This record gives sequence, C-alpha cells and structure tokens, in this order.
Amino acid sequence: MNSDPTFMELLYKFVAKNYDRILFLTWQHIYISLIALGITIIICVPLGIYLTKNEKLTPYAIGLANIFETIPSLALLAFLIFPLGIGNKNAICALVLYAALPVLQNTYTGIKSVPPSLVQAARGMGMTEMQILFKVQLPLARPVLIAGMRVATVWIIGTATLAAAIGGGGLGKLIFSGLASIRYEVVFAGALPATVLALFADQGLKMVQEYYSPKNRAMRLARKAEKLEKINREEMEENCQENMVSG
Amino acid sequence: MVIFENVRKVYDDGTVAVNNLNLEIKEGEFVVLIGPSGCGKTTTLKMVNRLEECTAGKIYVDGNDITTVDPVKLRRGIGYVIQQIALMPHLSVAENIGIVPRLHKWEKNKIDKRVDELLEMAGLNPAQYKYRLPDQLSGGQQQRIGVLRALAVEPRVVLMDEPFGALDPISRDRLQNELLELQKKLKKTIIFVTHDIDEALKLADRIVIMRQGRVEQIDTPSELKNNPVNDFVKAFIGEERLAKISPEAPIDIIIEEPGLKVLPDTKASLVLNHLEDIGPESAQVVDRNGKWLGMAIVPDIKKVAKLGGYIKEAVRLERKLYIEEATLRDAAEMLADRDLPVPILDENNIFLGVVTHNGIARLTISRLQRKIS
Ligand SMILES: Nc1ncnc2c1ncn2[C@@H]1O[C@H](COP(=O)(O)OP(=O)(O)OP(=O)(O)O)[C@@H](O)[C@H]1O
Ligand SMILES: [Mg+2]
Repeated sequence: MNSDPTFMELLYKFVAKNYDRILFLTWQHIYISLIALGITIIICVPLGIYLTKNEKLTPYAIGLANIFETIPSLALLAFLIFPLGIGNKNAICALVLYAALPVLQNTYTGIKSVPPSLVQAARGMGMTEMQILFKVQLPLARPVLIAGMRVATVWIIGTATLAAAIGGGGLGKLIFSGLASIRYEVVFAGALPATVLALFADQGLKMVQEYYSPKNRAMRLARKAEKLEKINREEMEENCQENMVSG
Repeated sequence: MVIFENVRKVYDDGTVAVNNLNLEIKEGEFVVLIGPSGCGKTTTLKMVNRLEECTAGKIYVDGNDITTVDPVKLRRGIGYVIQQIALMPHLSVAENIGIVPRLHKWEKNKIDKRVDELLEMAGLNPAQYKYRLPDQLSGGQQQRIGVLRALAVEPRVVLMDEPFGALDPISRDRLQNELLELQKKLKKTIIFVTHDIDEALKLADRIVIMRQGRVEQIDTPSELKNNPVNDFVKAFIGEERLAKISPEAPIDIIIEEPGLKVLPDTKASLVLNHLEDIGPESAQVVDRNGKWLGMAIVPDIKKVAKLGGYIKEAVRLERKLYIEEATLRDAAEMLADRDLPVPILDENNIFLGVVTHNGIARLTISRLQRKIS
C-alpha cells in the first residue's frame, strides 16, 4: 500500500514541521494589520471630525478616499513601488489608503447625524467645544464609527495577504509560495489563519458595538438600579429590626 | 438682573429676528415672552447666553455686559431649557441632570445627592427613575428632566424655551403648578417662552408680547387684560377673555352633584361598569368623611381595572378649584382646556360638588333671558 498521501496528511505534516513559521507569519500579519489600522484611525478620525467643521473640503477628501478605494488593491501596491519601493512599508501605506474611506466617511456621517439640538443644548449648558466633541458627538457617533472600523479591519486583514506579493511579510507569504510550488496544503496553511483572523476581528468589534448599544446600556443601568434598591431595602429592614430591638 | 438695551438681531440671511428690544428684568422676576411663531422669542433667549450674538445693543446679566464675559463661563451660570428638550440619549436620567454640576467639578457624592433631591422635588422617585435612559420616559417626564437639568446648580438666571411645549393640557397644568411652587421657594430670575397665552397669564409676573421682532406691550397679566395697548394685543389675549360675561363671580351658583361619587376602596372594574352605564367620563373619589381624594378618568380607570386594582390608584389630583378663591372664569378656563367636570373643594379638602360645561351654559342662558326680558 503505497498510495499518495491525502491532503489532510500533507497539511498535518506541513503544519507539524512549520508551526513556528506559521505562528510567526500570523503574528506578522496581525502586526502589519494593526499598524495599518492604527494609522488609518489616527489620520481618518480627526480628519473626519475636521471635515464636519469645514464642509467645503468634504467632497474632495471623500472623493480622494473613494479613488484609492476603487483602485484594485494589487494595482495600488504596484503603484506604490515607485515612491516607496518594496516591503512592509509599502504594504502598510497601501492598506491605509485602501481602508481610509470607511473610517473617514463613517466618522463624518456619524458626527453629522448627531441632532444639532443636542449640540446646542450642550453648548447652552456651558460645555467647551472639546467637551461637546468628547462627551456628546463622539459617544453618539460611536455605533457608526465602529461600523466603519469593522469594515476597514476586515479589508485590511484580507488585503494584507497581498503584501507578500511586493516583498512584505504576513500569511500571504505561505499563500504565494504554495501557489508557486502548487502545494495546496501550504496555501491552506496561510489562508485558514488569515480567514480566522478576519472573522475574529470582525466578531470582536461587533461585540464592542453591542456592548454600547442602547439596549445593553439600559440593561446595565437596570441592574444598577436593582442593586441600589436592594441596598435600600436592606437598610430599611435593618432599621426596622433596630426599632424593634429598641422598642 | 437681566437688562436688554436697544437689542437688535439680524441673521446672516437678512432676517430681522429682534428689533430694538428694551427690557429690564429684576432679580426673582418671572418674565414670559409670548408671540406668534417666528416673532423672535427663541432668538431673544439665545442672545442672553450668547448662543447668538446681538447685532446691535447690549445685554447685561448680573450687571456685566455679556460680551465681556467668557461665553462658556456665562453659560454655566445660566440655566437653559432648550425648545427641543434635547436630553442626551446616551446618558441616564441621573447623568443628564448631573451634566452641569460635573462641568462645575462638583464631587460625585454631592452630585448624587443633588440629583435625588431634584427628582424628588419633581415628584419622580429617584430609585425608580435615576437609571433610566431618556427613551424610557414619557414626554412629560422628559420635559421635567429638561427643567431639572437647568436648575441643577441653582443658577440665578434660568431661560426656558417652551418647556411644556408638546404636552397634553392636564400634564401641562400640573407642571405649571409645580413650576410655580418651585419658583415660590427658589425665587430665580426666569425668562420663559411660550405660545400659549393661558400659560403666560398663569405664570408671569410680567408678560412681553412680541410681534415680528418688536415688542407690542410689556405689562403684568392683569394690566394686559384690562388695558391692552392695541388691537393686536387685544386679539392675542383673546376677545372672549375680555368680554367679561360675568365679572369675577364666585362659583357656588353653578356647583352641581357629580355624575359618580365613589369610596376609595371600590374595585376599579366596578366603577368602570358603572360609568359605562351612566355615561360620564369621570368619577370623584371621596372618603367616608367627605374628604376629596382625587378624580379618576376613564383611560386611567381602565388601566387600573386591567390590573385588578382599586379606584384610589387611578386618581388625579391636579384638577380642582377651591371655593373661596375660584371664580367663574377659572372654572370656564379649566373646562375650555378639557371637557371634564371640575371638582370644587373647601379649604379642608371637603368635596362640595362639580362644575360642568352644562352648568356654565345654563347660567349663560339664564342671563341672556334676563337681558332680553
Ligand atoms: N439661524 C438662523 N438663521 C436665519 N434666520 C433665523 C435663524 N434662526 C431663526 N431665524 C429666523 O428668525 C426669526 C425668529 O426666529 P425665532 O426662532 O426666534 O422665533 P420664535 O419666536 O422662537 O418662533 P417659535 O415660536 O416658532 O419657536 C424667524 O423668522 C426665523 O425664521
Ligand atoms: Mg422658538
């Protein structure tokens, strides 16, 4: 019995032999994605806020982000080779450009959708513009903001697999080398963790989103109220008992 | 306390919202601005806390020209109830009321205590309402929280822009009474905006009647009623009010027996059956000693009946007149607001009877007949 080994056997063998490399590449993938996401947020959230105060620039900024978003991701990586050369720097830069639109746009629309009467009430009560931003506008825009980040995160993790094509790291390395050598178990060993990463990140952000939903907030508050009531009741009972003792 | 000196406001698009306003409001005075929609009431308020800047003229608050005060600091010293209520939907009731105290950097304990105190003052049980979100409140409760929020740090000046705007007449009446009680205690300087002349007449020390950015008349309610300066004011106050069908006559001539009088521990469902048989929409709840405990109206009774409760759980207390001080006009006004009997009590809350539309109509007819003959 000398039949060819099955796919599962091949995969098992490859993973057993290369698990430290897979772990390293997964970690590198996360690292590249996190840096790209971080830079995207650091640039696009403040820019989105700025745009709500300078409406005239909005169509230009959103239009530009739209263009980057439309360029096929592999093509974008290729273009960036001219100014940035090959490697992770190029990849991260491309990911940032690629993910800018959802974050920028959702920041802008999220803040814009806060009713003006709330902003005016806040101002009328004596909040500074910064306090209005952090205590009223951003918390109210949070669901939309996180939704934008969710889209951006999934895109970044997915597209980061392409970084390997221009000499960057990450799980794409396994996928590309597997494709080149027609070893599907290698492709799979790269594709699976990338998929799982994207799913987990998406779920994680969804949970954050849900944590802040009005329904859950109401529930947390209700629990707090219950606790308070219990304390009150206990105090009352204690008082009663004391009264009985003294009486 | 608040002085307007030749104040004028022209918006960027050329709308003249306020034109040459002169007004001096004394400390502790309750001034009501009233006029048709778009006459500049909201604009006038917003200029006081510099949400809008005056185009010309000066405003002084507490002796200071407001343009010389930092707007943020100015606003923290002035309570503001915005026309749209605008409670923060992501904050609990307690946090909403605590916004201004937190801006003033009060300690957490002090804020907590103050919130409870305010809620109690407005007849809302703190344990029950503190941790609700604004969405979980009725419209009337939201408006109350809006008012409490403005009073939290006891500002000496309070601006209220139609604080009881979208309310049914009964809740409105009750909140007005609460505000009057509160004002008796706190003695704030209040500038209050409304559309509703009855509200203005009831609450104001002085009323400012505005039209298209101009002041038509500034006077006390009784002066306005007796000496309106022109036809606009006359029309605005309402011809029927000025017609004086009967001078401030006492109401005892038209008191009648109520349609239904019940003891407090009658089953609500029983009362409901009875009401459906005889027709009226309300029952007077009176105890064995003749003391009035409230009146119950059908929608409330239905609710209580569904839960199998007693009639005393369905009563409302805000609708009533005391025989010593009530006049025919008071009764007529209450009836015009809502076509339900008005219970009449003596000073010991002993129930004497009710006044109804029918009673007033009979009286009017008898007078007409007398005039003809
Ligand atoms: N930001 C603005 N820009 C231009 N015009 C405005 C602005 N705000 C108000 N106006 C105009 O100024 C006038 C006065 O408005 P204001 O809101 O003070 O009226 P109001 O008396 O409060 O009316 P309402 O009873 O309907 O609340 C109106 O003609 C209104 O259209
Ligand atoms: Mg207004």
